[in-house]
Amino acid sequence: MEDLMSDAHDTSRTGTVPVTVLTGFLGAGKTTLLNHILSAEHGRKYAVLVNEFGELGVDNDLVVDADEEVFETNNGCICCTVRGDLIRILGNLLRRRGRFDGIIVETTGLADPAPVAQTFFVDENLREKARLDAVVTVVDAFNIIQTLEESPEATSQLAFADVIILNKTDLADAERRAEIVARIRQINAVAEIHEAQHGGVKLTDVLDRGGFDLKRALTTMPDFLDNNEHSHEEGIVSISLSLKGRLDQQRFNAWIGAILQEQGADILRSKGILYFEGAEQRFAFQAVHMMADGDFIGPIREGEATDSRLVFIGRNLNRPQLRRGFESCIAEGSVSA
Amino acid sequence: MSDELIVQRGAERRFESPIVQVAAARDGESFAALTADGELILIPHNALRNAEAWTVLQPHEGGLCLAPDSVPNAYLSGGEDGRLVRTTTDGTMEILHEGRRWIECVASTPTHLVFSSGKKMELRKAEGTETLKTLEHPSTVTGIVFDAKGKRLAASHYNGVSMWFVQAKVDTVRPLEWKGSHIGLAIHPSGEALVTSMQENDLHGWRLADGHNMRMSGYPKQVRSMSFTRNGRWLATAGADAVVLWPFFGGGPMGKAPTELARLPGLFVSAVAANPKENIVAAGYEDGTVVLAELSDQGASDGRVLPLCAGQVTARGTVTSLAFTPQGGAIIFGTEDGVLGTVDLSSAS
Repeated sequence: MEDLMSDAHDTSRTGTVPVTVLTGFLGAGKTTLLNHILSAEHGRKYAVLVNEFGELGVDNDLVVDADEEVFETNNGCICCTVRGDLIRILGNLLRRRGRFDGIIVETTGLADPAPVAQTFFVDENLREKARLDAVVTVVDAFNIIQTLEESPEATSQLAFADVIILNKTDLADAERRAEIVARIRQINAVAEIHEAQHGGVKLTDVLDRGGFDLKRALTTMPDFLDNNEHSHEEGIVSISLSLKGRLDQQRFNAWIGAILQEQGADILRSKGILYFEGAEQRFAFQAVHMMADGDFIGPIREGEATDSRLVFIGRNLNRPQLRRGFESCIAEGSVSA
Repeated sequence: MSDELIVQRGAERRFESPIVQVAAARDGESFAALTADGELILIPHNALRNAEAWTVLQPHEGGLCLAPDSVPNAYLSGGEDGRLVRTTTDGTMEILHEGRRWIECVASTPTHLVFSSGKKMELRKAEGTETLKTLEHPSTVTGIVFDAKGKRLAASHYNGVSMWFVQAKVDTVRPLEWKGSHIGLAIHPSGEALVTSMQENDLHGWRLADGHNMRMSGYPKQVRSMSFTRNGRWLATAGADAVVLWPFFGGGPMGKAPTELARLPGLFVSAVAANPKENIVAAGYEDGTVVLAELSDQGASDGRVLPLCAGQVTARGTVTSLAFTPQGGAIIFGTEDGVLGTVDLSSAS
């Protein structure tokens, strides 16, 4: 598992093309949102990978047909599923540098977002040329509560999201919308939520978020409250942890490696902002199931609170155990609160 | 002054976009290269040392695959524009197929041509327009080869390879199964074995007589290029900092160690091509170095290595593709940085 963090010091991800993954349940308004994005005057070149060709009403951008072809890869100790069609198609599209400002991958309503996200960790060539910018999940405000009751895929799409677009808000009153947001927060405590009608979102809310690489997460991560509420959707919950005192990087790597190894199947996403002993920069950590990645993301300012924060989104999570484990990563001699 | 062999006996030219693939025509009278932008560069034999005389055409918007055509003096190319185009060395272009999906693989024999888009592979007569059959696969086709006699056809995809008979009245597939993503394939010249490259830096093989599985592993990088030597004794492969050759004789490759040629420590081989007439393998590296390495039937380590061009002298980018003429007397290579080079290997004139 040591390999998981081997790229921790790699800050050379600039120059890579951002990839936005668009998920959302059938009828939630993905295609409308996509049309909105593509027809907007943004002066940028996007390639769009779609499953259902012909639904899009625009032709000024490069639209490529992609089947959601998932296969299981066997990388040493890790078995995970990835999208081979993305490896192939993006590999070809990205041979020419500077050809696109961004790539949008649309998934079908029933798709599990994990294979898409994992693809960007697994394929070496893709890692060099592209970065997963954000998983954007479109949610239908009118139907979402019922959909969550009926479909585990919908829950999983919310759990994976970096950005959630609550669409069709004209069909739900304020009370209903508050109920929906509370429900979403149980599943995913850290995603940004934007309300929209007819897919009309600000492009800056959706594209080029830096959501996945967490550079923006510092400003968007909510205050971490120890809430012990439980979600009923497939038992998926968010658990957020906060620690004062610098962490020992080696201990953290060993601990998180073991956690992801043992519980990676249940942990859909994990993210964190970490302050390591001796480091002059904050460290952003993120993982999709067992695949982890991390980066130092900028200098610690004077007077900045150096509380390390970590979020787990998944099933069967044991909060006390995770908290104890996280606490055991505090560096020797560091003041703990 | 550079003492690179390419300067003395060849030519090179830099294009805007990466060279996707290079090929030699069946008659050996010309080379061609396809760029990611969809340009096709035609190089007649008499222009091997004169890059100014190369012709640049634009058959595609976005180039994906290139192969010699069934016709002796032409090429087949496929692109992101969904087109399959035949380009004759006089510069004539003919669209043989136009669809909505990318044309990702193409291959030919003197009597047939085949191309794939998505899961479908279409077999046509050599003249190019008459479709003989359309063959379906469980997932997108990633590579196509004909056997040396042109009787069998194999396509790689997820979880293995599908083998078909070109002339069969009823199409029954011979499935060669192995879990995982197979990203390309090569067939032994006498049809003894089929080898695929896998997503996870391994090779997988099948002995065709009995379907026995072979595994060839230990590569630090994905194996993007493979080539059987002329007599089929060795399979030369990229993916390590030397050309790795697996023995296909004396019971190999099972239980046999591979041999190595032309090791450049820390510099990875990105493309290989075996010479069709001599015991020579061409290797291209990540920095644009291209060498010829000699091997014997027994082994290789003491073989001579002849550099054609050196990355330390001129940075040319990762070599993506290499090809010899059918007679073996000339070589062409292309790189990710858009450099296209040729070297005339025939006796000095």
